[in-house]
Amino acid sequence: MITGDTFGLSLRNLRQSKLRTALTTIGVSIGIASLGGMLSLGVGFQDQITGRLMQAGLFDSITVMDPAILGGPGALLAERGGLRGGRGRGATPTPSPKLNDETLKKLAALDNVLEVYPNLRVPVELKIDDFTRTLTASGVPMSSKGQGSFQTFSYGAFFAGDSDASCMLTLDTAKQIAEQNPGSLIGKTATLSYASSVTNTAESLNVPAGLQVQRTETSCRIAGIIERDPGGIPGGGGLTGIMVPMGMAKTMDAQAIVNLQSFLRDPSQAKAYGAVTVKVKQARFTQDVEDKLRGMGFTVFSINDALKGAKTAFIVLDIFLSLIGSIALAVSSLGIVNTMVMSILERTREIGIMKAIGASDNDIRKIFLIEASVIGLMGGFVGVGIGWIVGQAINIGGGIYIRSQGGTPAPLFYFPLWLAAASIAFSIVVSLIAGSYPASRAARLDPIQALRHD
Amino acid sequence: MAALLETENLKKHYQMGDVVVRALDGVSISVSDGEFLALLGASGSGKSTLLNLIAGLDRPTSGSLRIEGNDLSAMSPEELSRHRRSNVGIIFQSFNLVSTMSALDNVTLSMMFAGVSKIEREQRAGQLLESMGLGGRQRHRPKELSGGEQQRVAISRALANKPRVLLADEPTGNLDSRTSREIMQVLKELNEREGKAIILVTHDANLAAQYAHRTITLMDGTVLSESTS
Repeated sequence: MITGDTFGLSLRNLRQSKLRTALTTIGVSIGIASLGGMLSLGVGFQDQITGRLMQAGLFDSITVMDPAILGGPGALLAERGGLRGGRGRGATPTPSPKLNDETLKKLAALDNVLEVYPNLRVPVELKIDDFTRTLTASGVPMSSKGQGSFQTFSYGAFFAGDSDASCMLTLDTAKQIAEQNPGSLIGKTATLSYASSVTNTAESLNVPAGLQVQRTETSCRIAGIIERDPGGIPGGGGLTGIMVPMGMAKTMDAQAIVNLQSFLRDPSQAKAYGAVTVKVKQARFTQDVEDKLRGMGFTVFSINDALKGAKTAFIVLDIFLSLIGSIALAVSSLGIVNTMVMSILERTREIGIMKAIGASDNDIRKIFLIEASVIGLMGGFVGVGIGWIVGQAINIGGGIYIRSQGGTPAPLFYFPLWLAAASIAFSIVVSLIAGSYPASRAARLDPIQALRHD
Repeated sequence: MAALLETENLKKHYQMGDVVVRALDGVSISVSDGEFLALLGASGSGKSTLLNLIAGLDRPTSGSLRIEGNDLSAMSPEELSRHRRSNVGIIFQSFNLVSTMSALDNVTLSMMFAGVSKIEREQRAGQLLESMGLGGRQRHRPKELSGGEQQRVAISRALANKPRVLLADEPTGNLDSRTSREIMQVLKELNEREGKAIILVTHDANLAAQYAHRTITLMDGTVLSESTS
């Protein structure tokens, strides 16, 4: 028998009982919608979290900290990191090596390390037109171009060069400055003021010798506004409201009084950083390099530690969600079995006739299996459609609610193409399994008995 | 004439509760190519059982049943279905047309299982229905046709795959006497003009004597007598 003809007979059978086919299809589609919807919730959730981390570029970066310089929070983190690292295991704590430019060069020379740059944070007063606000400026290396958060720009683009007097804002900051049209800020000049210390030796000015704090001003042209604020992740390369090129940040950092240590620093000693970021060549080297750094006595932190637990949690969440979704699908697959058994009962005589005029058992089995898979295919498509619509509706509704509560809306349900395709394929597979018993029952029918059937 | 079909000590026993029903109990017959044979007997004589075995719808308990030398009892289900679609054409008392299909589709159906292309099978089905005098009724459903017309559709269907032998199980049982004669005339012409072997199962001795070359009378699953007309 030609395959096309088998399809033809199957489709004809489905058309013969339109209502039953439609009802069974709806049953399957509800099952697929609930399974697909649940998984899309899991995927959406996962995407929200790992997406943020990815955007922050944290999978391939390790933060090396100097707890002494970072002060309270740094020491706390170091202690927590130390529980996993080499330091907290009953050994007497040894001070971490100083994070100065010399150390940075040493770290950069390690295997699989792409680059090393200091995490520079300078508290500044930002002034654009009439707007004035105190926030933290951070240094961004040119290598971050096109990476992480710098993949999507709401307006403008990345810095032109490392020593360029330009800066970037997050969309949140930009909106605080120009609520209606953040894009209009591009090209404007922002003034950054920060406190710097000068060692005064000249007594001719009639002031006592010693440390003095003065206000230093620098300006930058706003080059770009990034869409996604990765948020402050502890110890990570989390970005701040305003970002300046690394070269500019270094200049500022050299002068600025960032904290008490920098204020009291002996000018003759080399400048040490509170934290540096070590970028590895590929995310899979992160653990290796992290272990090596820990072995060298550094206090390190990478997102890997935090993510290990999260990955397991996502798998458990996905399994849990798909189990809930599967309940509906299990019920609807019983619907397929029921429909097919009914259909066979109704068509017993027809099956008998077909067998008497030469249909083989396989022909009959195929006809019914195709019927089941067509129901699965249609149910899959409709189900994915329902799942997508419901997900979008919740996303939109939820977005309105979150916005009314003053938050930034994020899609709860995420229905990628692979999930849609997998749902439809799964729907067909489930339908085939559900249809296999009725189909083989039809194939095994005794033609003589079937012909006597009314 | 060469033997088209041969049975040897053919038995078919059914288990009905504790009782063994001997529907066929050692039948040895042979049918020649181009022969018109009648199987005569009362109900329960085993004539329909014998026809079902020849049709390959059922399997014998013991004995052999050879069609052109091939033993049906040794065939796989797949081979049996091939036997049904290419060696034999079956005509039933109750027509057994698919009620939801048109006359044309009913005839093409058996060719569909034989893997004949759509164009070819529709052409052949059209010709067959035309030759049965149903040229204008191809698109009609069975319930829109008279009993005689339905049986002509069934005969067309039986002929579709050009079988060696037509098996007719009480083909006129549901028809009035005039239509019965017309149907028997059709069968007779197929036998005479196209040389189709026909095995007619009937309980009507007159019908058997009038149309068949040879009549085998069955009783309680055995051959009672054999006569040539």
